[in-house]
Amino acid sequence: MSLIKMENVTKIYHTGEISVTALQNINLEIDKGSFISFIGPSGSGKTTLLNLIGCLDKPTEGDIIVNDVKINLLDRKNGAKFRGDSLGFVFQNFNLVPVLTVYENVEYPLLMVKNVPVSERRTRVLDLLEKVNMLDQKNKYPNQISGGQKQRVAVARALVTNPSVVLADEPTANLDHKTALKVIDIMRQMKKELGTTFIFSTHDPKIVGNAEIVYTLEDGKIVNNKKGGE
Amino acid sequence: MKNIIKIAIRNLFRYTRRTLLTTTLISIGVILVIVFAGLGGSFKSAMIGIITDSMLADVQVHKSGYVETIDNIPLNIFLTENEMEVLQPKLDNNAKIEAYSPRIKFGAMISDYNQTSNIRLSGVYPEKEQATCPTLTDRFSGVSDPINFVKPGEIIIPDILVKGLNVEIGNDVVIVGTNRHGSVNGLSLKIVGVSEGVMGPQGKEGFIHIEDALNLLRMDETEISEVAIRLNRGEDVKIAYTELNQALSGEKSEDGSRIYEVHPWNKLTHFGSIANIVDLLIMMVRVILISIVLISVMNIMMMSVFERTSEIGTIAAIGTSPRKILSLFLAEGFFLGFISTLAGVIIGVGLLLFMQWQPVQFTFGPMENLVLIPDIPIKEVLATSGIVVLVSLFASWQPARKASKLEPVDALGHV
Ligand SMILES: Nc1ncnc2c1ncn2[C@@H]1O[C@H](COP(=O)(O)OP(=O)(O)OP(=O)(O)O)[C@@H](O)[C@H]1O
Ligand SMILES: [Mg+2]
Repeated sequence: MSLIKMENVTKIYHTGEISVTALQNINLEIDKGSFISFIGPSGSGKTTLLNLIGCLDKPTEGDIIVNDVKINLLDRKNGAKFRGDSLGFVFQNFNLVPVLTVYENVEYPLLMVKNVPVSERRTRVLDLLEKVNMLDQKNKYPNQISGGQKQRVAVARALVTNPSVVLADEPTANLDHKTALKVIDIMRQMKKELGTTFIFSTHDPKIVGNAEIVYTLEDGKIVNNKKGGE
Repeated sequence: MKNIIKIAIRNLFRYTRRTLLTTTLISIGVILVIVFAGLGGSFKSAMIGIITDSMLADVQVHKSGYVETIDNIPLNIFLTENEMEVLQPKLDNNAKIEAYSPRIKFGAMISDYNQTSNIRLSGVYPEKEQATCPTLTDRFSGVSDPINFVKPGEIIIPDILVKGLNVEIGNDVVIVGTNRHGSVNGLSLKIVGVSEGVMGPQGKEGFIHIEDALNLLRMDETEISEVAIRLNRGEDVKIAYTELNQALSGEKSEDGSRIYEVHPWNKLTHFGSIANIVDLLIMMVRVILISIVLISVMNIMMMSVFERTSEIGTIAAIGTSPRKILSLFLAEGFFLGFISTLAGVIIGVGLLLFMQWQPVQFTFGPMENLVLIPDIPIKEVLATSGIVVLVSLFASWQPARKASKLEPVDALGHV
């Protein structure tokens, strides 16, 4: 049984008179513990696809099943709960909460979303900060650390609730090449250690090389998939 | 909850300058209300104290029709001896009444043998007057015995006449009065004291003993123009007035009209309406404060929601429930109001305490050197704090709701 299943998914955006078909009849299955990347030119539908899997948006047609839940049927409240329970997010702009320290940012989902008791929270936060190598910076605020460091904190925040899937839309777009590789490396390592499924989108062909499975999108359709390294 | 408060307060002080500006604005409003209520309230109670303790007392009883023509000082609308005999037991047996003083009021001429002037006079029983208006004698200078401040053959004149007539304590003056039948009579009296003028209808009166008044007006029986009544508790004036009015309403004359009329002090002086104006002004300052809070909190919260849209998108995306997002922004508005109120209350009460320590002196009409010692209006402080905090919550409601209803996809795309 696959972790994520998309059946005949179509997404059409309507803006006034014009309607844009961002995704067209997508069928896709993703197994647990995969490390997957979507590539494709600008406007090909990568963000749209990730938003649908991330339960941030609803498909116009078709079903999306994640963790045995048909997520296109969830309402706002249950959608938020599902995201908090099963998903982790890493954003292009890092999106750390500026008024919280590194430690507090990673703690946030446990505290404000999941209500985990204090001792367990502490172990998990410190453990993940150690894994992404940010333990020594834990009392700094986001504006006191570099972009690469912010993205590593974001990875820790995405993983702290032990989600089944981490979704990352262009996580390296705002990082230089070396830092980008480092962040992707950390994600791979986390996948290996924790068995979490990672799905990310990118423009950068050099980074794509690290993915196990690469889907190429064009005009809202999957045109090709290949195993990494081939 | 603790975390929501922590995040809300940190967000509040993220834009320090903006928050400080708003806080200052609201604090100034709170300070204004508190100081205004403190000063206005104590001004009111000081004035009411002077009026009720040295002039009008709390309630007055007259013959029906007297107050209507009070400006003419009517001589023919008096309570007769019989009517006084009916009234007195009712006053004596009323537990709310501490003391009462029958007075004969009339206008007369006063002359120092060189010049002549007009004078309004009150003929009183000094010990009853003293019991009814205990601070009256504080206004007198030159009086040796405050209990028996004026004896037959003596007069206390208002200070304006001291200058006008060029007389002083110890001098003899002649009082010439006309009674209700038009008969003129004169009486030579010795000045034993000078009364400081106060605002109000009876603020520039002279005092003589009631026996002299009876002689001067050639009255065969002791008729009374007004009975001033002091209550045990000044706050009871409304109830006491209503009860007394009720008790006297049954006393009818032969033609079926009422014999007695009863008035509370505030119906006998214009200060009643000045007191209302003070209340109205305090009310207006309060309304202005509420508008300030409403507009500034709403403004700052709408700006916050707009500026932090992508942040809201982030926390929503990672699973924060709409309800928590709502609480986060409500808490922010709440604390904006709370901190401002706290600052305002501390400064406002501080200012009032300072004024208690260094009282303000002021002049009101003929009354000079009045000292204004403000009370701390505790009720006002609590009410104002409550209102500001509630209005802040109310003003944050719409922006907070907007934040909680943002779709994460749209919000995330917002830069
Ligand atoms: N909210 C929207 N309203 C209308 N059209 C949209 C919206 N979001 C995306 N689109 C359209 O859908 C198509 C797919 O957009 P999407 O953002 O998924 O592409 P993308 O592959 O992520 O591109 P990029 O590499 O530039 O991020 C585009 O044609 C885009 O214009
Ligand atoms: Mg995109």
